[in-house]
Amino acid sequence: MKRQHTGNRAPGSGLWSALLLPGTAWMSVFFVAALLLVTALAFGSTDELGNPRFGTSLDNLAAVGDPVYRVVILRSLLYAAATSVICLLVAYPVAYAIALHGGRYKNALVAAIVVPFFANYLVRMYGWSVLLADEGPVLRFARWLGAPEDWRIVNTGFGVVAGLCYGFVVFMILPLYAALERMDTSLIEAGRDLYGGPLRTFLFVTVPATRQGAAAGLVLVFLPAMGDFVSASFLGGPDQVMIGNLIQSAFFGGQNWPLGSALTMLLMVVLLVVMGGYLRRIRRDESEAR
Amino acid sequence: MAHPAVRLTAVTKSFGTAPAVRNLDLDIAQGEFFALLGPSGCGKTTTLRMLGGFTTPTSGSIHLDGVDVTNHPPNRRDVNTVFQSYALFDHLTIWDNIAFGLKRRGRPTAEIRERVGEMLDLVQLGDMATRRPRTLSGGQRQRVALARALVNRPKVLLLDEPLAALDLKLRRQMQVELKQIQREVGITFVFVTHDQDEALTMADRVAVMNGGVVEQCGAPEDVYERPASRFVASFMGTSNLMTGVYSGGTVTLDGDVRLPVAQRTDCADGSTVSLSVRPEKIWLSDFEPGMVRVTGVIRETVYSGPTTTYLIDLAPGLRVAALEQNTARARREDRWEGGEEVELGWRPQDCLVLA
Amino acid sequence: MSNVRRPRFAIGTTMAFFALLYAPIVVVVLFSFNGQKSLSVFKGVSLRWYEAFLNDQELLQSLGMSLRVSLVAMVGSIVLGVALALGLVRTKGALGTFAGLVMLVPLVTPEIVTGVASMMLFKGFGIPLSTGTVMIAEVTFSISYVTVILRSRVAALNPELEEAAMDLGATRWQALRLVTLPALLPAILASAVLIFALVFDDFVLAYFTTGVTPQPLSVRIYSAIRFGVQPTINAVGTLMLLGSIALIALALAIPRFFGRRGGLSILSGE
Repeated sequence: MKRQHTGNRAPGSGLWSALLLPGTAWMSVFFVAALLLVTALAFGSTDELGNPRFGTSLDNLAAVGDPVYRVVILRSLLYAAATSVICLLVAYPVAYAIALHGGRYKNALVAAIVVPFFANYLVRMYGWSVLLADEGPVLRFARWLGAPEDWRIVNTGFGVVAGLCYGFVVFMILPLYAALERMDTSLIEAGRDLYGGPLRTFLFVTVPATRQGAAAGLVLVFLPAMGDFVSASFLGGPDQVMIGNLIQSAFFGGQNWPLGSALTMLLMVVLLVVMGGYLRRIRRDESEAR
Repeated sequence: MAHPAVRLTAVTKSFGTAPAVRNLDLDIAQGEFFALLGPSGCGKTTTLRMLGGFTTPTSGSIHLDGVDVTNHPPNRRDVNTVFQSYALFDHLTIWDNIAFGLKRRGRPTAEIRERVGEMLDLVQLGDMATRRPRTLSGGQRQRVALARALVNRPKVLLLDEPLAALDLKLRRQMQVELKQIQREVGITFVFVTHDQDEALTMADRVAVMNGGVVEQCGAPEDVYERPASRFVASFMGTSNLMTGVYSGGTVTLDGDVRLPVAQRTDCADGSTVSLSVRPEKIWLSDFEPGMVRVTGVIRETVYSGPTTTYLIDLAPGLRVAALEQNTARARREDRWEGGEEVELGWRPQDCLVLA
Repeated sequence: MSNVRRPRFAIGTTMAFFALLYAPIVVVVLFSFNGQKSLSVFKGVSLRWYEAFLNDQELLQSLGMSLRVSLVAMVGSIVLGVALALGLVRTKGALGTFAGLVMLVPLVTPEIVTGVASMMLFKGFGIPLSTGTVMIAEVTFSISYVTVILRSRVAALNPELEEAAMDLGATRWQALRLVTLPALLPAILASAVLIFALVFDDFVLAYFTTGVTPQPLSVRIYSAIRFGVQPTINAVGTLMLLGSIALIALALAIPRFFGRRGGLSILSGE
């Protein structure tokens, strides 16, 4: 039995505010200030020795608009969007099956999905690249089924997107699963009466009822996919370079830090736009619900 | 003269703009079993929390045994609380739960052992000392909460709806036990409840609260038999409230039913008043001389074991409830049925006029 | 329950999903025992790659570094995160709102952004990249996880517990230490183990904030994969995978030792 204690402040509540300080201070310095630094350096330049200098130049931002980079940016957006959609299509049946038909094994099944996903992204991507390699089991199986000899998955966009999906689909499954769990299953029965077929029931009843989970999943997959570089470096070639790879090479290859900062800032802007859109959607949903 | 155990002077508590407690003046005597009674939102819980130190009054002062504790935090008051949720510490054994307060005060181990043992015996949980709260029943947990508070021998014990989570039988049993324990230890008990039966059964004095103020404060019989306002009359059991116009010793109700009442100097002729007659004070037979008599028609008969309640219309729309013990009319055939005309009577002093 | 007809499509997809999910893991584990130095042909079971790992000084040094980083990150983020969670739930006001926001942002920021920003911060202040910088960056990232998990747990606590402690004579600080923290212990332990596993496996952040020597194990694996296949990687990868899986499963099961429901409910604060 819980009680609401509205707004009363018992004497001595300064302790709680004091507890906030160390963590907030840490985050402000090592995260917020760091992000601001990146934004600042985006306006900088390099000196003769290649060392980064702060400044007020818009060269880097202009360079980012260069057609070469624009291709990469659009490609990243495309890959991330494709990943989100594919993850949605895959995650729905899986989450549906577990949430509504998992029975006693529900929690074990979800754990069986979650545990590997949080266990070493890198090694799993490596394993995936081995599987999809030209001489790997998947292609050999496909050729055995009659696929053309020069079919490949690695070094194509499909490969990279496949890698991205594999890496982030769990972020789609979890919110969908939560939404499906919470959904009133009698809606489905009512839908069956109304719509007849299972597919139509799904489209017109289940999907609208769980759209908030789907929206959350889309955002949670899109954002990390946008910034990923591991998938492209294991499964892609020079034609599949993403923003993440450009940033990686700006800092570790070409030593062009201001450019790298500009690219990172661009990524942050995309992030803000997507998050902003999502939050506005949430707020609209909430006010509609009243 | 000894200080009252608790004295609230002009205490007000507002959360934002809404006052939960308004200008409260209250004295609670040493060793009293005091009840704060009222519906949800009347301010009784807020008052208790202010006594415990979990909330500070917006204005006014609180004195405990003569000491001003208005701004003292809970750990600096000689007061202990039994919480509604019991708030037992799950990670400690029953023994450690009870010993908690004594350990905070740095009492020597031997003393702790003695006092905790004493308490366990008092609440009859001697063999549960090494158990964890999670393994106990609701009633047992309530006793642990009580022991944990009492072991510190506070000046005042606060109880927040202590019996609300128990089933009926257990509640009745605990009501008696609590009263016994209080008499044994002699500590002032202040408890909050919304159940007027509980308040009437256990308390030495009851404060009936409504909307942040105390409408009436007195012994249970006073509050029940002589309610000071419409609210108190209707909150304490069924009151058969009737509204009518007063005129020189008679009140005229709806349906032109006239009832003689005692002459009142504080009621002007033509003013609207409320009348209240308790159901158990209405007689349906064997009338005494001098009773007020009126007729009515039985509409419903409600049998509830030891008693039967008759719902009677004195006039269309004017319904009263009359309560009878089923001694003379234990058999269904002997009771009145719907549609029958009856005569009702009550002693004049049992009909109260309320403003 | 409700649906009598089992949706074959959904169940089929789920089975295929699980197969695809575990296939890469199976491949890595399988080939770690490969007697031959190949990633496509399996010939003979052997432990030679595990031996090679145990004899590789650089890899062992990386393992040691990763373990140290994980330990420090675990302790640091728990201390700061628990304090933050308590403060966020118990206070209102500007500081609380700011803290709550700042704490959530790292969770939605792509790791590469956090990595670049952290690296820039260190370089900007002239701090050379090393084990220490990795530790700092990992703590920063982990605080968010800890705070999110603990926050719902703190909010679910009975507020009367602390009041009871104070009523019995404890100061606010004592109430925190003697009652609140013990009540939070299962969630704290579970988060700690989870953070250890997450930090140990983490790659992107470590990649940007590490010095040249030593490097975290995940960064070494990345370089090895990029610049030529070393089958030892399979052995290392298998060990890392199995280690992480064991740790995370342990984290999810911890609440059970305290008599509460285990599993994902830890994240929802039950």
